[in-house]
Amino acid sequence: MRPYHLIPAVPALALALMPFLPFVNTDGLWFGLPRMLVWGAAWCVLCTPALLLTERLMATEEAGTATITEGADQ
Amino acid sequence: MTTILIMTFTGIVLIGVLGFVGRRKPAADLSEWAVGGRNFGAVSMWFLQAGEVFTTFTFLGMAGLAFSGGVAALYALPYVPIGYMVLFFLAKRLWSLGKERGYLTQGDYLEDRYDSRLLGTVAAVLGVVFVLPYLQLQITGLGLIVQLVTGNSSSGTLSMIIGSALVVAFVLWAGLHGVAMTSYFKDVVMLVVLAVLLVAVPAHFAGGVSAMFHRIDKLHPEMLTIHAGPADQVWFTTSMLVSAIGVGLMCLPHAWPAVMSARDPKVLRRNYTWMPLYELCLLMPIIVGFAAVLVVKPGSSANGILLTLSKQVLPAWATGLVVIAAVATAMVPAAGILIGISSLVARNIARVKGERTQFWINHGTVVAACGLSLLLAIFRPDLLANLLLLTYSGTVQLAPAIALGFLARRPVGKVPVLAGLFVGELVVIWLTFWDKGLAGNVNVGLVGLAANMIVLTLAALAERLLTRSTTPDPDKQVAVTA
Repeated sequence: MRPYHLIPAVPALALALMPFLPFVNTDGLWFGLPRMLVWGAAWCVLCTPALLLTERLMATEEAGTATITEGADQ
Repeated sequence: MTTILIMTFTGIVLIGVLGFVGRRKPAADLSEWAVGGRNFGAVSMWFLQAGEVFTTFTFLGMAGLAFSGGVAALYALPYVPIGYMVLFFLAKRLWSLGKERGYLTQGDYLEDRYDSRLLGTVAAVLGVVFVLPYLQLQITGLGLIVQLVTGNSSSGTLSMIIGSALVVAFVLWAGLHGVAMTSYFKDVVMLVVLAVLLVAVPAHFAGGVSAMFHRIDKLHPEMLTIHAGPADQVWFTTSMLVSAIGVGLMCLPHAWPAVMSARDPKVLRRNYTWMPLYELCLLMPIIVGFAAVLVVKPGSSANGILLTLSKQVLPAWATGLVVIAAVATAMVPAAGILIGISSLVARNIARVKGERTQFWINHGTVVAACGLSLLLAIFRPDLLANLLLLTYSGTVQLAPAIALGFLARRPVGKVPVLAGLFVGELVVIWLTFWDKGLAGNVNVGLVGLAANMIVLTLAALAERLLTRSTTPDPDKQVAVTA
């Protein structure tokens, strides 16, 4: 388990806990839309940057591992 | 009415023709037919995967669910992104295993990872039994759509027959390439129609989306919250969780051919990264469904809400376009499901020698499965309805086996996995048909999964103890040899 595995857990948790958050699961609107709908849509959108960041960190780590292996070979 | 009817049948034929265009000559073998020679790029993969997500249930069912349960319909929004985030990490391993070991089906994967033909066959049989009702649902949905807009049941039956015949024909001819080609059309027409409805329906009935929700907030505030009742917080979370596990661990067998068809794992990862944004399209039918809360009598049939509103707001030709989109959301997933079912039968159940015979069994299964579903949809539409309840909760019982199979060194053997699977399915069937109230609002699939994992863990411990006690002590062995 690497720290970058936890990045997508943030939007996943925000989405899973949606009905238990009292300021989300209540009547009233945000931007003229139901709060649950705005919260769900916002965190769905944030899944993509979370995965992009994870991919970048994974690539950095893989590149680092490759450099170390090359150094050891030489 | 004539305009809608003509457009509907033109749409059905057009989808069939597009399916044929997907391939110039028929595939030579099952691998080429079922996974397109493992050569699909990002665009084809995108539409194939979206094709699995956006079905009749999404198009018509989500609007209906918003009408009857308000924001409870949003349970369907997070599970695909959560599932895709899991698949983002598994994609590389899954694709590499599939390529190296030549998997075409879920059964191939389980059989190879646990070195057990029995597990492969059991998983395939469960897959076919639980997914066949899902195929019938698409065909019944197709007939229902046409019947709803024309008010004529014989038109509905005719559309089911023509639609099924065309699906079988283009699936036999073009395989997964045909599904990909029709998926492009389906998603484009569906998005155009939903965008039009998103603007037109709230504007017509309430003066716009924001004005509509302000009125709902005033008149029906309970529709904006998850509250006590059959669709409460427990139902919402557990249903979402079971569906997310199903997507994330590829428990539905017809998801496999699409993933196995990817050119490389980067294509899969890229799609899993961007697909959550596409999921937002799911909000469109939900918002349209909310309009019905203000104008349709409570207790009305929820499944036809989107079409009822379309007929009230749009001219006949535009309603015809809505029907074409709805028909596409039935025919395209039906084609994908057929490929999933037939390859399971040919590879993991029939087990014949010779690639050619296997290919013919596959094609025979396509005709038989679609024919059976069509006959049941026409004559006994309720016969498989109960089994449909098991599609998700039943297939999700394969999750522990699939998840543990990803590990390089499997911590358990086939016996604990089979024991857990057996108990999990038993619990799900018991809670679905006999003791319906026992689980309360908790999704029965999750209860079955808990029982499944307990049995799997206990059986794995027993297996380890037995192996240890039967393995001879190496020191003693040396002494005896000396």
